[in-house]
Amino acid sequence: MAEIDPESGLKLRKLTELKPTAAEEYQEAMLNRVDYFSKKRDSTFNSFVENTIVGSLKILLDLKVKVEEMLGDDNKEKVHEMIDKLLLFGL
Amino acid sequence: MYHIDGTDYLKTPYYSKTRSLCPECLQRIGAEIYEENDQIWMRKTCPDHGDFKDIISSSAKYYKWTHYKTENWSFDKDGDANPPDCEITDKRGCPYNCGLCPEHLSTCSLALIDLTNRCNFNCNFCYANVQKAGYLIEPSLEEIDRIMAHFRNKPIPAPSIMFTGGEPTVRKDFPEICAMAKKHGFKEVIVATNGYGFQRKNGGLEWTKKVFEAGLDTLYFQFDGINNATYEKTRGIKNLMEYKQRVIENCRKAELTSIVLVATIAKGVTDIEIGNIIQYAIDNIDVVRGITFQPVALCGRITAEDMQELRITNADVIQEIDNQTGGKISIESAWYPLTTIVEWGRIIAYLADIEPVEFTCHPDCGFATYLAIDPETNEMVSIMDYFDPLKIIDFANKFWDKIKNKEKEPIKFFSSLLGDFGETLDKGVNWLDKQQLKARFLLAMLQHTKKPGKLMEMFSRVLIDGKWDSISAFTHGTLLISSMHFQDAYDFNIERVKRCIVHFGVAMPDGTVKEVSFCTMNTLHRPEIEKQVAKKLTEKVKNEFDTTMGYRVDEIDQEVAHNGGTIKDEEF
Repeated sequence: MAEIDPESGLKLRKLTELKPTAAEEYQEAMLNRVDYFSKKRDSTFNSFVENTIVGSLKILLDLKVKVEEMLGDDNKEKVHEMIDKLLLFGL
Repeated sequence: MYHIDGTDYLKTPYYSKTRSLCPECLQRIGAEIYEENDQIWMRKTCPDHGDFKDIISSSAKYYKWTHYKTENWSFDKDGDANPPDCEITDKRGCPYNCGLCPEHLSTCSLALIDLTNRCNFNCNFCYANVQKAGYLIEPSLEEIDRIMAHFRNKPIPAPSIMFTGGEPTVRKDFPEICAMAKKHGFKEVIVATNGYGFQRKNGGLEWTKKVFEAGLDTLYFQFDGINNATYEKTRGIKNLMEYKQRVIENCRKAELTSIVLVATIAKGVTDIEIGNIIQYAIDNIDVVRGITFQPVALCGRITAEDMQELRITNADVIQEIDNQTGGKISIESAWYPLTTIVEWGRIIAYLADIEPVEFTCHPDCGFATYLAIDPETNEMVSIMDYFDPLKIIDFANKFWDKIKNKEKEPIKFFSSLLGDFGETLDKGVNWLDKQQLKARFLLAMLQHTKKPGKLMEMFSRVLIDGKWDSISAFTHGTLLISSMHFQDAYDFNIERVKRCIVHFGVAMPDGTVKEVSFCTMNTLHRPEIEKQVAKKLTEKVKNEFDTTMGYRVDEIDQEVAHNGGTIKDEEF
């Protein structure tokens, strides 16, 4: 709903109330774009290898979020530091 | 704020020296940037015209964060510049030799071509105006082709191009120009427009479809707010919101789903519309990809008093966004300078074998964030809620530092031993090496990602392949908000100019192309260059538009005739 600013007389929209469907619309816009590109033969969205990697990363991320919840903030920091060092090791 | 809270750096007043211009005589003079009352200011003295002072940032804290440096951390990036196009002939140095000279430190990320200085509007602050200039600036197709070739044939080619003006869509050959840009290999073809061609009641939709098919990717769409009264103040035209809405509708129907709303922000004029514009973008998320707020640059002659009244800085804009979004896009945590992603972008480009996009501009040039709607709460959040940006950037900086030499010196072990066959083996080794690097990088990004979901799936695709399909789909699920502050003679900083990544290309009468950085062109070089390329203005061109209504004179005639009942074409 728009309010009217008493000083300028301008219409002001309040951002605190989003449409209940706002999140869905965002996701839909993204997925429509995927559909658009998927219709093209050489699109990255049709790559079996890439789709498999993305699927695996999704599973890993779900798992990671759950493990981190159990770890607590302090331990999480320590684990992150260690993994970062490991991933930079030998480069 | 970010990671400088509680540090001695934050407590120490900011101070640096640079070089600037005298706003009166445009001679190069020394300048100091310093902190005063929690704000950042520039002061300078011209021996002939006295003292000048201008605000650079209304938040000293935010400014200091963007200039924070550690051993592994700085937003001040080293760019890869292309070989210079001209030599230093003016001993005063930058910015007088622009063309580009050897002092320039960054390559061009966005090439600009002024397609015309004709326009259907007559905004009083605009430099590109055929009526006021008294001459026509309009490069021919051959000249446009020459400029495009100039930008694409460099060792580091410009990845994207934007057509500017005037109003570029008044040109009849605009679809042909879009097609030409794609033919030259520009990945992103953009038009800076008030929407003229797209909104026409008669044929606007067909024209929108035509330019989209020809190769236009994005509208950089002038959008000052949602109130007619605001447009009346900024553009001098009544009832313009309906015109703006028609652009959105026609793009939606034509499936041209990449519109960036561009709002020029001046204090007391358009700053009240910031929240409205964000809300409008959210409401039209199927076609709107982003918003760019541009604090007004006061080019042309303006008094110091008038300048101070209108001046607004990037920090003011992001503070207003914070205020007008109820703190959801917070100045304390959501914003990063454009240069933040330089190393990150280089890693993706190297691992995916694609052309890199180099945002090696100055940290003061612009800030950005992505906004998302969390599907679990249906609340607007900054993308920073999805991952830990400081950790990601920190890792990317270290990672790039360790692998950057591989780009220049790929493994050549077998080729020295086995000749041609060895070369094939080396290619295989290099491929394997890239895959293990990619795996390390992906795992690092994954561990600093905080939320799962479709958006992060798309983000992982961007990391894997860096391809346009993935980037485009990701941006369709988010809203990019940025603030870009172009310079004028009052706040001109030559260190910023040297790092400029947005360059105009002008086809000169001698057959060459002059490449000039954006702020230098508008502050210094435009009058002299235009004098050389100006064409004669005919009466027909002069009387083409009714600039108080924004329509062609012949269109208005048709409407009047139609309303009088003489035209029975229902389509109008």
